Amino acid sequence: MTSLEMGLWVTGLLLVLVVLGMRVGFAAGLAGLAGLVWNFWEKKDYAWGELGWAISVAAQQAGQVPHSKVASQALSLIPIFILIGYLAYHAGLTRALFEAAKRWVGWLPGGLGVSTVFATAGFAAVSGASVATSAVFARIAIPEMLSIGYDRRFAAGVVAAAGTLASLIPPSAILVIYAIIVEQDVGTLLLAGFVPGAFSALVYGGLVVGMAVAWRGLGPPVRGFTWGQRLASLPGALPIVGVIAIIILFVYNPFGDAFGTPTEGGALGAALILVIALAKGMGWRDLASALLETAKLTAMIFTIIWGVLIYVRFLGFADLPSAFAGWIGGLEQSPYMTLVLILLAYAVLGMFMDAIGMLLLTLPIVFPAVIALNGGPGVAAADSPFGLSSVEVGIWFGIIVVKMAEFCLITPPIGLNCFVVAGVRDDLSVQDVFRGVTPFFIADALTIAALVAFPAIVMWLPRLLLSG
Amino acid sequence: MAGPTNILSDGSALSRLDRALFRVEGWLALIAGLAVLGLMALAVVSVGGRNFLGRPLSGYVDWIELAMPFIAFLAISYTQRLGGHVRMDIVIGRLGGRTLWAAEWLTTLLTLALAVALCWGTWQHFGRSFDWDMPRFSRDSSIDIGLPLWPAKLVVPVAFAILSLRLALQLWGFGRAFARGEERPVAVPLIESAAEVAAAEAAALERAGR
Amino acid sequence: EEWDVSLWGARRAFTEHVEKLAELVEEKTDGEFTLNISYGGLSNNRENLDGISIGAFEMAQFCAGYHADKNPSITVLELPFLGISTLEQEREISQALYEHPAVQEDLSRWNATLLMPSPLPQYNIVGTGEAPRTLDDYAGLAVRATGGIGRAMEEVGAVPTSMTASEVRQAMDSGVITAASFAPHAHMSFGTVENADWWTTNLNPGTVNCPVVVNTDALEALPDEYREALLSSVDEALDYYVTNYEGATMDAWGPMLDEKGIEQVTYSDEDLAAFREAVAEPAAQAWIEENAARGLPAQELYDFVTGMVEQDG
Ligand code: NA
Ligand code: NA
Repeated sequence: MTSLEMGLWVTGLLLVLVVLGMRVGFAAGLAGLAGLVWNFWEKKDYAWGELGWAISVAAQQAGQVPHSKVASQALSLIPIFILIGYLAYHAGLTRALFEAAKRWVGWLPGGLGVSTVFATAGFAAVSGASVATSAVFARIAIPEMLSIGYDRRFAAGVVAAAGTLASLIPPSAILVIYAIIVEQDVGTLLLAGFVPGAFSALVYGGLVVGMAVAWRGLGPPVRGFTWGQRLASLPGALPIVGVIAIIILFVYNPFGDAFGTPTEGGALGAALILVIALAKGMGWRDLASALLETAKLTAMIFTIIWGVLIYVRFLGFADLPSAFAGWIGGLEQSPYMTLVLILLAYAVLGMFMDAIGMLLLTLPIVFPAVIALNGGPGVAAADSPFGLSSVEVGIWFGIIVVKMAEFCLITPPIGLNCFVVAGVRDDLSVQDVFRGVTPFFIADALTIAALVAFPAIVMWLPRLLLSG
Repeated sequence: MAGPTNILSDGSALSRLDRALFRVEGWLALIAGLAVLGLMALAVVSVGGRNFLGRPLSGYVDWIELAMPFIAFLAISYTQRLGGHVRMDIVIGRLGGRTLWAAEWLTTLLTLALAVALCWGTWQHFGRSFDWDMPRFSRDSSIDIGLPLWPAKLVVPVAFAILSLRLALQLWGFGRAFARGEERPVAVPLIESAAEVAAAEAAALERAGR
Repeated sequence: EEWDVSLWGARRAFTEHVEKLAELVEEKTDGEFTLNISYGGLSNNRENLDGISIGAFEMAQFCAGYHADKNPSITVLELPFLGISTLEQEREISQALYEHPAVQEDLSRWNATLLMPSPLPQYNIVGTGEAPRTLDDYAGLAVRATGGIGRAMEEVGAVPTSMTASEVRQAMDSGVITAASFAPHAHMSFGTVENADWWTTNLNPGTVNCPVVVNTDALEALPDEYREALLSSVDEALDYYVTNYEGATMDAWGPMLDEKGIEQVTYSDEDLAAFREAVAEPAAQAWIEENAARGLPAQELYDFVTGMVEQDG
């Protein structure tokens, strides 16, 4: 048995366990542990007397991973980002943000839809990870839209689509996880997510306005807010602005003279939201419930992280990633073609799996292959088929797969966000939501095509800020 | 993510044990959450110290690395109790009755095997960092200010031990459901669709947000 | 026979002796005994001793300062201002210390036998902005420095700040720190020189000690000819390492500084003597006290090292 075959068998086992419905983190950990036992036992030529030894070495080797991989400063961003999201809900910031957006941009054609997009984007800018963004806005925004005569499907589509913005607009737990797995700089990735994320939000906003103009009655504007009312809506939304300012200061360092690292920026943002939530009368019960939710989501994410890393530890003894990278790098077809095929595979996988689980499970093998596709580690931009250095391709690919994972949230037939919106609203069927989201779906496909075809869209901001 | 509403209870020994363990799990999860707050406070002190006092917090990274295992592991069993760990339910979501409980029982058994193996493996990892005869009992220390690492290594096998108890209870629960052919058994997380889960979560947040 | 070897990072000057060793051993045994080198695939850099102790792989490299409590005896070579000035001297003293019974006993807890050092030159500081031309200029300077070097920087009023090596470049570019202390090859690989304005040529506050160890049981189980092939190749591998480090890294270093217009700051002998006095003695005393409490013959180890340095001088 070559180590490559061993790698393939164990990966097959992992897939079977995942399909059987075993929790993803545990399935990866078990597959990795089994692979390690196999690896060490093979070293002793499968002597029965040595099986106990092999199991003990494998369990101890795997037993190092949970502590040593989790005790990381970079990963500490994840619980902090999650905490910010929950505290922001508890502080009532989502509603305040929607209210402010409504008063300021509601006069546009499709104004409430635009408000939803911007409020969601603004919330995305403080919320690191949230499965419930769409659900929350379905409860806040859809009733208002329907009450002024919006088309039901249109309203539902806007909410389902806007809910996908959270992972690209920093802070984003999923970008942090990607950075850790592929060993890229966290700050650079967060930076790189900003332009594509803001671009997506603008595309959505433009699309809403365009549709409302083209089909009168789809989304009538809301007029009549006075400047006084507009200004009055600002203080409630101000904390979001404060957090965004802190994150810009710490992650992007616009003045070149920084206050701290992204980790510290995230923590400061959380502290600000906490103070506001407490000032608004958040009690111990609410705080405890936010902390419990944070702990739960954090444990869920970290379980996948260490589980997958046990599997990766096994892969270190097998040769699967390098063999796959060699195979991909040696293909005769155009690297662009191969990349598109990889992305299509993600599109399919993304329909069936949670984005974080999907990325964690696949990246250990796919990422080295993408690097190989670009001409190998250490390649210069000039010699690469994509015109990117090996570091840059890591960032570019990260943004694309995260956008891809987001895209899968509204892909028929099982785009999760559409089910969520339909689930919250008794008057909407899943088909209604899918129909309403179709224009956004098409816009997203075009956005992804643009990101793939023009890497400069992703790389522009990091290059600008990191070169000088 | 599943809310606490989808776990049924009754007066049986299984259900009572489930709820007793859940109280312990809840406290541990709360400690994990408080540790996140601690992390936040640490960063505030660090930034404030550097920018306003010209004196950064010494060993900031070391303290974070010490805190992270508490944050990552103390709620692992709590999350398992609530069915909160991610899985792909495309197959299992279509099963029902005894087939479903058999599948759940099997994957729970495999998870228990992993948890027990890792409980031992992580305990060994802790053991290599702990020595009664050394100053601060330490045989492994952090890179910058030399904090002993054994408390952070100890929390991992403790969490796996509690997770093993939880899995054993769930094994019992699924086994009983299979034996009795129950539709809605107690003490185990029942499958909800992702939409139901998100809706429940949004409702909980809405309540809290008011 | 195949041995797994756990290193980390990428192949670089710091790992060339292991690569050379693999080449020599394979040659001498006609390819019968091979070293399968992995960069980070088998373990974390801070868990390499654990992996050796478990028996997960047979050879590994680690740095003493990553986890002083795991290997207190060899941290004596990381004390500030020992006065070691060349790679050859660092190698010779390390090899001699690795033969010391107290050191061998310390490592035997991990089932580890010390094979060879990875001698590194003295750390120096790369920074941005106004160069600290005298030691007084260090007051308030935020510098990334760990362990003994960090304590040395504190003595002259600098503010040591901790962060992982991969965060250093960004922290420096953004002004969180103004300076960082590394060996030259690390300054180049972590990119701290890219936007730097100055470099200290002779501060030489100390370095890290990074041995290569083998699993003792595996070494003993090795057929005699293989073991002979391995042990007899150590000196040649180290010769190659030192020549390569001085050639590839240090020859590139000077011209690179000139090309980037980086100011080279050199301190006077009086300045350095004052610095040494303020730092070296208290640090050594603290080390001896701490490690005597661990049951090590700390004074003896310290005298052993300083004695060898004096002999050379
Ligand atoms: Na976000
Ligand atoms: Na519905």
